[in-house]
Amino acid sequence: MAELMDEYGRPQTPGASGKQGGVTRRKFLSYGIGGIGTAIAAALLYPIVGYAASPAFSTGKEQWIAVGNVTDFSPNQPQKVEFSYKKLDGWMTVEQKSTCWVVAKDSANFDVFNPKCTHLGCAYHWDQNETKFLCPCHGGVYDITGKVLAGPPPRSLDKVPFKLEGDKLLVKGA
Amino acid sequence: MSVYDWLDKRLDLRPGLAKMLDHPVPTWVNWLYCFGGITFFFFVLQAITGIFLMLYYVPSPDHAYESVQYITNTVHFGKIIRGMHHWTATLIVVTVVIHMLRVFWHGAYKAPRELNWVAGVCLFLLTMGFGFTGYLLPWDQKAYWATAVGTNIAGSVPVVGSFLLKLARGGTDLGAVTLVRFFDVHVALLPLFMVIFLAGHFFMIRRQGISRPY
Ligand code: HEM
Ligand code: FES
Repeated sequence: MAELMDEYGRPQTPGASGKQGGVTRRKFLSYGIGGIGTAIAAALLYPIVGYAASPAFSTGKEQWIAVGNVTDFSPNQPQKVEFSYKKLDGWMTVEQKSTCWVVAKDSANFDVFNPKCTHLGCAYHWDQNETKFLCPCHGGVYDITGKVLAGPPPRSLDKVPFKLEGDKLLVKGA
Repeated sequence: MSVYDWLDKRLDLRPGLAKMLDHPVPTWVNWLYCFGGITFFFFVLQAITGIFLMLYYVPSPDHAYESVQYITNTVHFGKIIRGMHHWTATLIVVTVVIHMLRVFWHGAYKAPRELNWVAGVCLFLLTMGFGFTGYLLPWDQKAYWATAVGTNIAGSVPVVGSFLLKLARGGTDLGAVTLVRFFDVHVALLPLFMVIFLAGHFFMIRRQGISRPY
């Protein structure tokens, strides 16, 4: 019998390519092994990918933290409030320290700002003489409503969601 | 043209693959001869699931227990990944013993395969080592006391006992140092030796072929 060759003239195992037509025993077995192998790989890969990506799917638990009484804030006197709350970090419960700026428009209307400058995240402060929020890093300036007046910040100060419960002012912690 | 054909054209894979895949299997081989392979499959499974357990596990007395609980109760599929590692650890001992009994029953340890029996005994001890060191890692009551007992047994060896006990525990008491060294042995030292001995085992099987029974 003439030896079977592939297109480079290398000897080929008979039946390896199934060239004789139909499904050879060799082909059947390689499909079988390939199929079972793929099934095992998929059965492993599916849970493993979900497991590794697990933290990316979880959304932090919503928390409302009391930061003060409405009467603590006098109108148009921005006040920096420091507070802390318990937060889940993986398997640990950690004490998370946080800050926000509270601006009372009147005794019922408030603005609560994220304490980071919207430019590159520095801490800004309220200047009582100029009645503006000033950022020391690159000269960002905001008015009392958080609107940018000067400097590089690309948008108004970010607002922190809050709600009133009776006399208490609560802000949302992430 | 399949991906395989494309690669084969450039890299000439066929002869190498054929040597592996067309290797004749002796006619007397039966299902009992599969247990070495099954054990190897389990070992690969342990390596994979183990690598992923390390994604969340922390080998410190402060965090070991909580991080394992976190894997089990919070992480998606954590129960499955941990469960696979847990049950395969048990099954691997069963299959390794069946494999060893088969080799013994068939007299496959006789010349010229004595060295492969010795390599096999090393593999068996490595498997036991994985089981012993892995048992401590969840850092729960069962883990702690099993290791207390296990290391005390080492301590009961005449003359060198107290040294062995301190070596295993990293001190006289079972604590933080014990946990970290068990972890290191479990995930670094034993896997390294396992791979070396498996390579030797498989090389010898290939060179010597599967023995004829008796
Ligand atoms: C991690 C553990 C081990 C793995 C993955 C493993 C794997 C294998 C595999 C795949 C074979 C081919 C034949 C068969 O499966 O029966 C084999 C053969 C062999 N194994 Fe193991 N083995 C392990 C442990 C052991 C142990 C504990 C012993 C004995 C103390 C042993 C002694 C042998 C011998 C002597 C052969 C040659 C058998 C023959 O030629 O018929 N192995 N091993
Ligand atoms: S960070 Fe505030 S101006 Fe650049």
